[in-house]
Amino acid sequence: MDTTNDILSLVFNATLFHSTIRAATPILYATLACVLTQQADILNIGVEGIMIFSAFAAVATSYFAGSWVLALVAAIIVGVVVAAFMAFAHLGAKADIFVVGMGVNMLAIALTRFLLQRIFGVSGSFHHNDIVAMPRLSFDFGGSELLNDLFNDYSLFEPVGIVLVFVLAFILYKTVWGLRLRSTGLNPQAAETAGINVTMRKFEVMLYSGVLGGIAGAHLSLGYSRMFVENMTNGRGFMGVAAMFFGGANPVWGWVGCLIFGFADSVGSRLQSLGLPSQFILMIPYLATVLVLTLAMMRKKRAETARKSAL
Amino acid sequence: MTRTSWGATLLTILLSLAIGAAAIMLLGYDPVEAYYQLFRGAFVGKFNIGGVFERFVPLMLTALAFAVSAKVSVFNVGVEGELYLGAMAAAWAGYALTGLHPVVHVPVCFALAMVVAGAWGAIPGALKAYWRVNEVCVTILMNYVAIFFTSYLVGNPFSARTSIPRTPSIEESAKLLRFLKPSRVNIGLFVAIGVLLLVWWVLYHTTWGFRLRHTGQNPDFSEYVGIPPKKVMVWGMILSGAIGGLAGAIEVMGIHGHFLDNFSPGIAFDGMLASLIAKNDIRMVPVLALFLAVLKTGALGMERFTGVPKTLIDTIIAVFILLAAMEALFSWKRRGAASAGEGA
Repeated sequence: MDTTNDILSLVFNATLFHSTIRAATPILYATLACVLTQQADILNIGVEGIMIFSAFAAVATSYFAGSWVLALVAAIIVGVVVAAFMAFAHLGAKADIFVVGMGVNMLAIALTRFLLQRIFGVSGSFHHNDIVAMPRLSFDFGGSELLNDLFNDYSLFEPVGIVLVFVLAFILYKTVWGLRLRSTGLNPQAAETAGINVTMRKFEVMLYSGVLGGIAGAHLSLGYSRMFVENMTNGRGFMGVAAMFFGGANPVWGWVGCLIFGFADSVGSRLQSLGLPSQFILMIPYLATVLVLTLAMMRKKRAETARKSAL
Repeated sequence: MTRTSWGATLLTILLSLAIGAAAIMLLGYDPVEAYYQLFRGAFVGKFNIGGVFERFVPLMLTALAFAVSAKVSVFNVGVEGELYLGAMAAAWAGYALTGLHPVVHVPVCFALAMVVAGAWGAIPGALKAYWRVNEVCVTILMNYVAIFFTSYLVGNPFSARTSIPRTPSIEESAKLLRFLKPSRVNIGLFVAIGVLLLVWWVLYHTTWGFRLRHTGQNPDFSEYVGIPPKKVMVWGMILSGAIGGLAGAIEVMGIHGHFLDNFSPGIAFDGMLASLIAKNDIRMVPVLALFLAVLKTGALGMERFTGVPKTLIDTIIAVFILLAAMEALFSWKRRGAASAGEGA
């Protein structure tokens, strides 16, 4: 009984809050990137690739220029360029967005691996003292351990991400721009009739998604860690897609999805360090998402049937 | 559904090889020499030819699995998970069942792998058929569940208690006969080709296959003429999953000899892309799988003899896929709103 309590207190303590946020943030930016495009009916499966490219650009710029601001700018530019290419391939050359996304993911892994060898002469991972990380926020809580555990030492883009969730929700649901964007996704013909250029709107939104993907990559390599590792996203882009689905393309619910992922990840890695099998905990977010999706669709179907029988 | 354009595919291949040549030249190497070594690395010597077929088998089977699900208009991104579960099932049957004759043991392993993976494939199929739950999302998520689950099994109940997480080695009677030694190519190659021919025959020359394709093209009309589209869709996914599971079983029984944690570096995703470029045309699937296998195998030789990094070949493959997708400007109808946007 004592050992169970010990384990529980090692796993569930005040620092879990912080590590949940920490694990959720890279996924959150990917989620927001997917939410934006999904509102325009584009399944942005390539966010994983955008993140890898941007993470590499951020580390390289930070190493050579010695500035995390320049690194962030470089990451965003790279993210936008990749997203623009995807948008062109999908909207201009009528390529299937899914194939383009998977192709970009593949290209990102291969090309960054190649560049890692060419530019830095290493394979696998690159870390160096000259890489400047993003700043961390530290406050003085006068020695209160609990407050320190909960609120101190966040990387800059962790709180920024949370603010962005609500900014994006406001833009999507409370502004004309957001209404028009959602209408292009819900009913492109109606949007077209209302004078909205659907193709341009989709293109525009892909570029913004590139910005968010770029931040996601830069945060991953300079905020979450301070290095570049081959395929360092490790499925976080896909988790972003999953969290977007969990939230039904709503940024706030998508954030909740990210927190569940982050929580499971933190608990999982704590269990693993204690030598306990973590796999079932790690499965929970995925199973929960499947369940949420299924229940949502079942409810929708029942509502439709009820409506039909009422006629 | 859609017709394949051989000419366009060939053109795309040549174009991406040309882009690759330009990149090789920019790096200061001789592209002719590099491609010559790539060719040698894939076709000269038993080890190299065997290496091509070693990679060809899982690529082709996973591509076929994807193509089959596409026939019932399900976009099965979950082949990777089916591959893992099939591999684990085959590994378990391979080491836990002892004293069987190879003629019994091998089919038993295959069957178990196919049943497990087929059942796994039925889940997203049923969710899509009965409640229209977006299968792209569900299968992506279920991949993680499958990989975590096999990771748990290989780390705990089925562990060989070695330093790397793997299952005990399978019995000799479950191992697939190898030829073209010292490569690891095995009779799984003929199993794979047999399955390809069988699936093609079933799809295009049997009533069941006709129903499958018919449902994929027009589920409403299928229902009207008395084919139950929902059941057919689930069966299509079971078949797709079973083929993916078989790919995993062959990897375990022919190549590794045990289940290794995280053994697949996204094999099924490469297979999926091969199938997508083949526009899910079953006749084109082996051609593209072979092309990718040749490039991946030859790249090793090229790197060794010319110094051109093999990551460049991976880059060229990705470029090829992107180009091929865009070439679809002329010949490929979009999947339509079938999978995008439903879950939102």
